[in-house]
Amino acid sequence: MPVRVVENSAPSQVSGANPGHTSPPACTLLSVGQAFSGTQNVSSLQKDEAWRVNVRIQGCDLDHGYLCGTMEALNVPMADTPVVTFWEGEIVDAKNHTFFTGKWEATSEVDIRHWTKFPSFSPLLSQVEVDGGRSLDLSSYPYIFMRWKEQYFVNVGTDCGLTIAGFYYVCFSCSDGSINGFYYDPNSSPFQKLELKSNHEGRWGYSFSSYELQ
Amino acid sequence: MPASSASSAHRPEDLISRLSSAAVDGETKLKALRELKNQIIGNRTKKLSYIKLGAVPSVVSILSSAAADDDASSTSVLLQSAAAVGSFACGFEAGVKAVLDAGAFPHLLSLISHPNSKVVDASARSLKMIYQSKLAPKYDFLQEKNMEFLISLLNNENENVTGLGASIISHSCETNVEQKELSDAGVLKRLLNLLGGSLCERDASLESLATVVKGNSEVVSRFLGPESGRALRAVIELTKDRYPRTRLLACMCLIAIRNASPSYLQDAGQKTKLMLILLELLDDPGQVGDEAAFALSSFIAEKEDLQQLAFEANVVDSLCNHLQKGPLQAKRIEGILLALADLCSKLESCRSRLLSLQVLNLVTDALTHDSANVRAAACICMKSVSRSVKNLSAGSFVNEVIVVPLVQLLDDNSISVQVAALGAISNIVVEFTKHKSVFIQCGVVKQLVQLSKSMESAIRLNAAWALRNLMFVSDDRCKEGIFFELTASTLTSLICDPEPSVQEQALALVRNLVDGCVDSIEYVFLEDGLILHAIGRQVQSALKAEVLVQGMYVLSNVASGNEIHKEANNNSQLRTAATWALVNLTFPSSPGASNRVAKLRNAGITSQLKTMVNDPCLDVKLRVRTALGQFMTSAISVSPPVVALNQHGMHHSRIEARKLFFFPAFESPLEVPTMRVRITSLLVLLLFHFAGVMLCFHSVPIHSIA
Repeated sequence: MPVRVVENSAPSQVSGANPGHTSPPACTLLSVGQAFSGTQNVSSLQKDEAWRVNVRIQGCDLDHGYLCGTMEALNVPMADTPVVTFWEGEIVDAKNHTFFTGKWEATSEVDIRHWTKFPSFSPLLSQVEVDGGRSLDLSSYPYIFMRWKEQYFVNVGTDCGLTIAGFYYVCFSCSDGSINGFYYDPNSSPFQKLELKSNHEGRWGYSFSSYELQ
Repeated sequence: MPASSASSAHRPEDLISRLSSAAVDGETKLKALRELKNQIIGNRTKKLSYIKLGAVPSVVSILSSAAADDDASSTSVLLQSAAAVGSFACGFEAGVKAVLDAGAFPHLLSLISHPNSKVVDASARSLKMIYQSKLAPKYDFLQEKNMEFLISLLNNENENVTGLGASIISHSCETNVEQKELSDAGVLKRLLNLLGGSLCERDASLESLATVVKGNSEVVSRFLGPESGRALRAVIELTKDRYPRTRLLACMCLIAIRNASPSYLQDAGQKTKLMLILLELLDDPGQVGDEAAFALSSFIAEKEDLQQLAFEANVVDSLCNHLQKGPLQAKRIEGILLALADLCSKLESCRSRLLSLQVLNLVTDALTHDSANVRAAACICMKSVSRSVKNLSAGSFVNEVIVVPLVQLLDDNSISVQVAALGAISNIVVEFTKHKSVFIQCGVVKQLVQLSKSMESAIRLNAAWALRNLMFVSDDRCKEGIFFELTASTLTSLICDPEPSVQEQALALVRNLVDGCVDSIEYVFLEDGLILHAIGRQVQSALKAEVLVQGMYVLSNVASGNEIHKEANNNSQLRTAATWALVNLTFPSSPGASNRVAKLRNAGITSQLKTMVNDPCLDVKLRVRTALGQFMTSAISVSPPVVALNQHGMHHSRIEARKLFFFPAFESPLEVPTMRVRITSLLVLLLFHFAGVMLCFHSVPIHSIA
């Protein structure tokens, strides 16, 4: 499914002495309660395999570049039930987080190798190579880049034979709410692709729920 | 003196009769005054019993007649009666009230100008006692004479008189105007000098300084001057004083300065030091320790940078240690819980630290404390901790130990406890696992619905808020359970509540109700569309943007339903509301209209409106024409929209619309930038919903829609 580009302007560099104080766009499709569904390709050399995946956003705090939610893997071979995990996301906003992961066994070379898999990343590449994208103004860029890291299993024990050691490089399209991601774990097969679309849940349109913490 | 006679002379009734009798001589009266004074010093029970016997008016009458006498013998009577009045007032509200009721205040005030310095000292001490109480009369600084008098007090040689001056300021200075008057009159400079005075002068001056600068950045910069060195250094120096009370007051003065002007006290090291001093003061078993926790709370409240510093300085651990050391007095627990609440209000690191220290059980224990203030503070702390989405998602707060006492507090006698409990419950019900039914089963919903009908608007607001959060992404059975308790009519009254903030929560509740399974949209059509009509009315008349936004989202969610829903929308006031909002946004005389017209035009709204010119609903048709008229007449200098009315054009305008929707920051600023843009954007999306509808609409005979 081709992703329609809203505006193909390359992001500008932040000028002045106050770099990185512009958050990514607040996108309604990436707000709490929104659901996404699709697949994760877990193919290896031995066989082709894809798991169906559902994601729901549970928390979003743009000021802190934070996003979280659950991920449900449906047809996992070794599990009797769908496996639900809770993940926390870092939004690359040049303020709280840059394109460089700096942890989780991901070097900047690994970072670049994964980010460049997203076509929408190419206008950013040269600057990211310089400073991890710290000086980029992503506030009007129609894509939001994130890292999603699973934190715990919600409905199965840690002895389920599955691992959540790795994390996802994620690219979210603000225009249609589609999500692409690549799973990175040095001990798993490389570049497992996650593909999700905004889930209309039986509707002919978009519906938005909301909560507000006190 | 024989023992028996002495005991009879000590009987309170005898003492009173000697005080009030005209027959006894001056010497006897003086003796009686002395005796009374000695009996009541530091003894609340004695004070109270003498007050009940009417001793205070007798003493004040002796004071006033002695003040009128000019002879030397009256001096001792003045001294003793003034001191007795002060003793009654010292640290005892009932005593202050009795003293004020008996009219002692003006007499004492005039004695400040007495030629005898001992009399001046005694009356200044007594007045200071009175000014420790909230009951003391407010001093009017704005009268020139009063200000002169105040300055004369501050310039006096006697430390009790200068202390009185400072106390008057701490007690009476409230408004920005008063703060500025005091600053203009040179009071700040004088108070600064007093920081170098006696212990009593230092403390009184620190307290007044905090009062005069509180919340007033202009006065702060006057006080600290252009170089800001000397004054700030003087106060900082006193945070290291050997007396705990002085250290506390110096900290509170610095906090008042920082809270009024964040540009001072920038140094992270200094801020951390201040927190550590306050933590150390928590070890003080008395009032100083109690106040230290509240001071810490006011320092870090709402300031994420300071909360981060506090986290790094292990403040969470220290506060938790104090709680764990227990048992503590109510005031101390309250202060610590509030400080922890502030710490956990924004930072996940603080929340997870608190949770890992196993302190949550102490917080839940405090939910059932005898003191209402402690109960409220425990709720507020629970509210802050439960802002952790990670723990909400793990269901960490949904257990009997927490939920049961919180729900019981919904029946608390104190409104502030009820409101605080509702706040905590509002967060805890944001629950992503399948445990929401727990809340319905344990009767929370029934209670929340009951509270949503309260006369207290704060309770209605928080109850509606809790219901809204409970409704978030809940399954069909939960929705059914909640709606069954809530009913369409109660929900309608909440939507039409006189308070806009309640309307907002009620609309957000409906927004969540009609989200999820398509069938849930049916709720708003029940009872002849009672809820939908209320929403329509609210969307047309609401003044607060937040209300409008929630209302429009409800309509948008309803419009995302099946064709019947979309058409029902069409049939109802949705399009009218949307076009009305467009009319309002482009209203010609409003200053930003042409700017907004340009935006809407670029989003392709005009072409969309043109397709609605012959709308089957007359009301919509008329509003569309009004709106189009406003689009035409608005003088704009931007290039015309590039929207073509073919299939591709349709796509293009959809994208444009989303651009507006997704990139509010993209737009040039409006008066109320984000909210306005969001509403505008929402309208665009809504209208695109109609675009789909209109296609099928044209093929439907008009009479079949009605």
